[in-house]
Amino acid sequence: MKRTLLAPSLLLLLLGAACYRLTVGGAPGRGAIVFCEAGQIHTLDPAKMTWMQDIRAALALWQGLVRYNPRTLAPLPGIARSWRISSNRLTYTFYLRRRARWSNGAAVTANDFLFAWKRMLHPATGAGYVMMLFHIAGAKAYFDSLARHPEDHLSFATVGARALGRRTLVVYLAHPCTYFLDLLAFPPFFPLNARSMQPFAYRRGRSGGYQPRWTRPPHLVTDGPYKLIGWKFHQYLLLRPNPYFWDRRAVRCRRLLIANYPDAESAFLAYQSGAVDVLSFVPSDFAHALLREQRLGQRDDVHDRLVFGSYYYLFNCRHKPLNNPQVRIALALAINKREIVRDVTRLPERPLNVLVPPGSIPGYRSPRGLSMNIAAARKLLAAAGYPDGHGLRRLKFLTDNAAAINGRIAQAVQEMWRKELGVRIRINEEETKVFHQDMVHGNYDIASAGWYGDYMDPTTWLDLFRTGNPNNLSGFSSRRYDSILQRAGRTVHSVERFALLRRAEKLLVEKYMPAIPLFQACDGLMYHAARIGGLSMNVRMITLLQYIHWRRNRKGIPAAGRTRIQASDIAKEHKRPAGTPP
Amino acid sequence: MISFILRRLLQSALVMAVVYTGTFWLLMATPGDPFIGNKQPPPAVLRALRARYGLNNPWKAYFAYAWRVLRYGDFGPTISYENWTVRGVIRQTLPVSMALGSLALLIALWAGVAAGIAGALLKGRWPDVALTIGTLLGISLPTFVVGSALLILFCVDVAVFPPGGWGTLRQLVLPALTLSLPFLAYIARLSRSSALDVLSADFVRTARAKGVSRLKVVRGHILPNSSLAALTYLGPAAASVLTGSFVVEKIFAIPGLGEVFVNACLDKDIPLVLGAVLVYTFILVIMNLLVDIGCAWADPRIRIG
Repeated sequence: MKRTLLAPSLLLLLLGAACYRLTVGGAPGRGAIVFCEAGQIHTLDPAKMTWMQDIRAALALWQGLVRYNPRTLAPLPGIARSWRISSNRLTYTFYLRRRARWSNGAAVTANDFLFAWKRMLHPATGAGYVMMLFHIAGAKAYFDSLARHPEDHLSFATVGARALGRRTLVVYLAHPCTYFLDLLAFPPFFPLNARSMQPFAYRRGRSGGYQPRWTRPPHLVTDGPYKLIGWKFHQYLLLRPNPYFWDRRAVRCRRLLIANYPDAESAFLAYQSGAVDVLSFVPSDFAHALLREQRLGQRDDVHDRLVFGSYYYLFNCRHKPLNNPQVRIALALAINKREIVRDVTRLPERPLNVLVPPGSIPGYRSPRGLSMNIAAARKLLAAAGYPDGHGLRRLKFLTDNAAAINGRIAQAVQEMWRKELGVRIRINEEETKVFHQDMVHGNYDIASAGWYGDYMDPTTWLDLFRTGNPNNLSGFSSRRYDSILQRAGRTVHSVERFALLRRAEKLLVEKYMPAIPLFQACDGLMYHAARIGGLSMNVRMITLLQYIHWRRNRKGIPAAGRTRIQASDIAKEHKRPAGTPP
Repeated sequence: MISFILRRLLQSALVMAVVYTGTFWLLMATPGDPFIGNKQPPPAVLRALRARYGLNNPWKAYFAYAWRVLRYGDFGPTISYENWTVRGVIRQTLPVSMALGSLALLIALWAGVAAGIAGALLKGRWPDVALTIGTLLGISLPTFVVGSALLILFCVDVAVFPPGGWGTLRQLVLPALTLSLPFLAYIARLSRSSALDVLSADFVRTARAKGVSRLKVVRGHILPNSSLAALTYLGPAAASVLTGSFVVEKIFAIPGLGEVFVNACLDKDIPLVLGAVLVYTFILVIMNLLVDIGCAWADPRIRIG
């Protein structure tokens, strides 16, 4: 018995205890505000971020030349205390703050920005948002020459960015860009501290390459409100105020823990139990019930709003029958978007007939778009040679299985098309990576898609349908459309420019219809305003953690609402074949 | 003995090589591209990323990754968490899964053997029937049902335990229980049937006839024999407790390797999948070897060689 039971037990106990000791470190959450993300941090390298949770963390750690107004997202002076824009809107001169410091105490200089941008423009860096830098004169040519001849490329001096001394930075644009200041507050334009990264540079060959460790504490040096103290993989980031930050007094939170949960259900449970203070989202599976409780006055911690994102169906415009705009418009006219929002998603989303969410960009007036009209849809389909759907093959509809709602919306639309037009589709729900691959290779007829605007301008959507844009997955190409966008790109005057962009969008949603807009997304935060202050909602859900703080009077916390997670909610989320024990 | 261990280690190396080859080419054959996401960078960036991970040419990549792991013991940076190398990820997550798994196995071993022996001693009476039904449920109920039920019961309805996370011992209780259940049930069945065998053996009847007390018979004959059956099962159980912990880790938000592994498969994160699969293989091989040695050491009837 000693040998068969006690010895293995002792072995297991020792092993378990040792492993447990290894993984548990102190109590990082004590006294900290816990901000919870449903998703893991993918990278803390600002050049390579594309995920929202990474971007939110970057905005807490870094600051660009310009920062966002937390409510309106209008550009405010950040590391640059002021700037001058030439009358032709092509030259921007930034004057950096004398007090701007890195978290190691060194001054932030104009060269830190140039270093970061030069690194970003190297294809080997693998920057997802590199195209944002192409607004700078010469940047695209520099990138292309590096891509073609990594050894024998243009000098960086051909790129229109110069440091005049330590604290003056001049940027020359390739063409007027009315939203350039807005871009400067976004992570790809953040400066990097070259000296702190130097020890991690790969010794030979691989230019632009750094060992991944440079982003991990204590090596990471940042210039924003917080500095990085701890990073446990798939657990949390621990942040404390950067003592050298120029606006140190505005940072009132002494410890901030960005906790990463694997999915929305576990994060919401943790929030309900009080383990986390702020949820960076409203869990979509429970949002309907939560909002109802809020309306009944049973809770007041759901903060949601319409955001700068839209959900739409993309057509593959390359092949028959969807290369015919009449078929595309017919399909668009037969969808009852109001019903989808009311009965399927059941969230306060707004049905859309245009691509750019109306009213979110000051000064931009959206076109009308086409609303549902079954009779017209039938007529168009017949005119295209498919009366009542006769002669039309079954269309391949592609969607992503990451969110269950995609499949439910697709089924509702499938039924509408079948009933009203006699058009049949086959729904393929695919794994995210397979879905994206099929989209990029044009291996679909119709696909579900969503897009969140990266900057406050209609072109963040309209460029998606421009010929040659890598994000144009529909294969749509119109010389007329491209030329209007090109003219808008040369126009400095904003009223004129918006009028041109409106014409372009009108063409898209009323004449060509390469995509069917369905609804404007809504998103939000969950927190008790009586406990936590300094959070504000904006249309792009760029939650700035710089101003977050405990309210002085933390008592009298409202009781958690009555929405209860059911076991089936969790079970269905985990019903995957992989990895189930014997 | 030594030559046996050496021979087995050599076999293990061969097994690892075969597993590496199989995993690599399966990954190459599955659809999905790790570098394509929702936002498309220019093609030059995609090319550079592929080149960085050496994935432009599958044959080159096959040998390059094998070389990297032999030379540096690492597959280099992961694709989806590019600030972490495969080794770094495994170092952070494997101990979490192992701590959870050890506790689950410990529970399964003791409770399983005890339940099995009790069932054998009370054969045909109601506790035995209850045990049979219980083990059937334990084996057939998937962990996502048990885990969700426990979570709702003890975290939401009666808030005794925190709903997941990692860092305190209290957070460990529910996931360990959930994870142990199928193994507990299986061990209970194994030890019940081997205890029944022993109970009807001649030497037990002789011992009882000589007047040895029931308790002494259980301690001296039944326990060693039925726990030996459990012991042989510990090897494969240890491996599947690690690989099977994914669901439990996800339900209870535990930052272990299981969850990372499954997400890496979905993300087509080739270096991370290779790393995790090799680690799992290594654990399986080593556990089987340890159990073989352990059985020979514990059971005088077994000879190794």
